[in-house]
Amino acid sequence: MAICPLPSPCAQFILRFIMANDAPAVEITDLVKEFKTTMRGRPLRAVDQVSLRIMPGEVYGLIGPNGSGKSTTMKALLGLLAPTAGSCKIFGRDSIKVDSRQDVGFLPENPYFYKHLTGGETLRFYGRLCGLGGSVLRERIEVLLELVDLKDARDRRVGGYSKGMLQRIGLAQAMIQHPRLVILDEPTAGVDPVGSREIRDLVLKLRDQGITVFLCSHLLEQVQEVCDRVGIIFAGKLIREGKLEELIAIEDQTEVIIRHADSALVSRIEEIIQSSDGAELVQTGKPRTTLERLFLKEIKRDHQS
Amino acid sequence: MSESTPTPAFKASHASRMVTLSLHAFTQLVRMKVFYFLAVFAVIVIGSNFFDMAQHQGPESVGANVLRNIKSWSLGAMALFAVVISIVATALLLPRDIEDRTLYTVLAKPVPRIDYLVGRLMGVLLLVFVSLAVMDLLMVAALHLRTGMVMEMQEKMAVGRGWPEEAIQSLKQETLASGVNWQLQAAVLAIFLKVAVMAAICLSVSTFSTSTLFTTVVSFLIFFIGHFQADALDFYLKGVEAGTSTFSQYLALGFSLFIPNFQLFNVVDGLVQNQPITLLMVGKLVMMACYYVLLYTLLAWWIFSDKEV
Repeated sequence: MAICPLPSPCAQFILRFIMANDAPAVEITDLVKEFKTTMRGRPLRAVDQVSLRIMPGEVYGLIGPNGSGKSTTMKALLGLLAPTAGSCKIFGRDSIKVDSRQDVGFLPENPYFYKHLTGGETLRFYGRLCGLGGSVLRERIEVLLELVDLKDARDRRVGGYSKGMLQRIGLAQAMIQHPRLVILDEPTAGVDPVGSREIRDLVLKLRDQGITVFLCSHLLEQVQEVCDRVGIIFAGKLIREGKLEELIAIEDQTEVIIRHADSALVSRIEEIIQSSDGAELVQTGKPRTTLERLFLKEIKRDHQS
Repeated sequence: MSESTPTPAFKASHASRMVTLSLHAFTQLVRMKVFYFLAVFAVIVIGSNFFDMAQHQGPESVGANVLRNIKSWSLGAMALFAVVISIVATALLLPRDIEDRTLYTVLAKPVPRIDYLVGRLMGVLLLVFVSLAVMDLLMVAALHLRTGMVMEMQEKMAVGRGWPEEAIQSLKQETLASGVNWQLQAAVLAIFLKVAVMAAICLSVSTFSTSTLFTTVVSFLIFFIGHFQADALDFYLKGVEAGTSTFSQYLALGFSLFIPNFQLFNVVDGLVQNQPITLLMVGKLVMMACYYVLLYTLLAWWIFSDKEV
C-alpha cells in the first residue's frame, strides 16, 4: 500500500487540533532580554534566562517588584520586543510570528485607548483587526459590554472613562476574538477595591470558560486569590515557581479553625497539644478578615439598606 | 461551555486590516477638527473674487484677472493646506501611538507591522483626498459662477462697441477656456500626488523619530530640499560631461534618486498662465509618485519591522 507523503487537509486539521491541545499555552525557554544603554556601556539585562510553561486552562501569576522584568517578559511573549536569546511560544507557535497573536488577548498596564472612540467603537475597531465583522461582531460587542458592565457607557468616548472603566474596556478588547490565552499586565493597578474585585471576578470567569490567563502584578493578595500557579521574578531572574498551595503552605504547621469554641474547649485542646511529643502551640486567636473584604461588605450593606 | 478552540475562527486579510486602520486614522484626524481649515479656504476663495486689477481697456480684459486670481489663490491654498495637513497628520499618528501606548494594543492583535504602516498612510491620504475634493468643489463653484458673470459683462461691452457675432463667440470660447476645465482637475491631481509622496516620506521619518516635532521639522526640511533636486541631477549630468569626480557624481545621482523633485509637481503656475497640462505629464507624475511612495513605505517598513515598542 502506498503511503501518501502529505496528510490530507482533514488529517492536517486533526493533527493541528491534537498539537494545539497538547502544546502548552505559553512556553518561554531561556529568555534573555538586554537593552542597550549608552554607546560603550554594558547592556542592561532586564530578563535573565527565564523559563516557564503555562498549560491550557491555568491561571498563572508572575509576581515581582517594579522593574523586575515582568512587563518585559510579557512584551517578549507578545512579539513586541525581540528576545536577545531564548524563545517564546504560544500554543506551540513562535510568538514572533504574527499569526500566534490570533489566540492571544492582551491588556497592557495602564491601558490608554484611542480617546476619540466610544466604548462600542473601540471594541468594533479591535474586532475588525482580528477579522470579525457583521452580526458576529455586533453580537460579540454586546456580550462583552454586558460582561464588563459597560453597556450604559458604550456611546461615551473612552477619553471620559474612569480608571476602572478603562481596565474593563481593556479586558473586553482583549477578549474580542475569543482568545485562548489572555495576558494581563497589572490588571488592577490604580483601580479602587470595588473595580479590583470585579476584575478578579472576570479573571475567575475566564478560568471557568477554560481560557488560560497569564497575569503579572505586584499586588500579592490578589494574585493569591485567583492564580493556580505563581512565579516570582526578581532582578530579571525567575527565582521561584510552582503551585500556589505548595508555595505558600508552611509544611511543619497545621491550622484548625473552629466555630463557636468556648474557652474550656480551647484549654482542653491546648492541654492535648502540650502533652503531645514534639508538638508546639504556635498561636491561638480569632482569624481576621482583610480590610478589603470588610470594605466591600460595608459597601454592600449600605447599598442594600 | 468552553471558549477554547483549536484554531482561530476569524482571520482578517491584509486589505481588510489596512482599510480598518485607515478608516480609524481618518476618524481620529477628523475628530481632531482638522477640517476647520476649510473655513479659511472658503474665505480665501471668496476673497480672491474681490481682487480685480483695473485694466478694462476692452471686453477681452474684463474679469480676466479675477478668473486668474481665483485659480491661482485657490490652487496655491490647496497645495499649502494639503502639504501641511499631510505632514502634521502623519507626524502625529505614529509617535502619538507610541507615547500613548495604544500601539501595544494594536500590535498585540494579529496585525503585521506593514499593515499598520500602510493603514496609517492610507488614512492620511484619505483625509487629504477628501480635503482636496471639498476645496476643489468650492473652487469650481466659485470659478463657474464668476465665469458666467464675466462672460455676461464681456458680451454687454462687446455688443455696446459693435463687435461682430463671430468675435463675440470667439471671446466667449476664450473666457470659457479660462474657467472650469479638466486641466484644473489635473492640477489638483498633481497636488495630491506631491502630498502623497510627502506623507510617505514623513511616515518613514516617524518610524525612527521619537517625537512629532522632530518628524514635522525633518519632513518640512526634506520638502524644501526636494525643490532643489533638479539642481543635483543637473550637477550629475553636467559632471559626466565636465569630468567631475566620480564620488561627487554618484552622490548627486543618489540624491536625485532618493529625494523627489518636487518642482515637477508644480504645474499650478503654468496652468494659471493657460499653459496646458498634457496627459503625458500627468502619466509621468503618477509614475514618479508611485515610485517614491513605494520607496519610502518600504523604507518605513524596514525600519519599523525591528523597532521595539
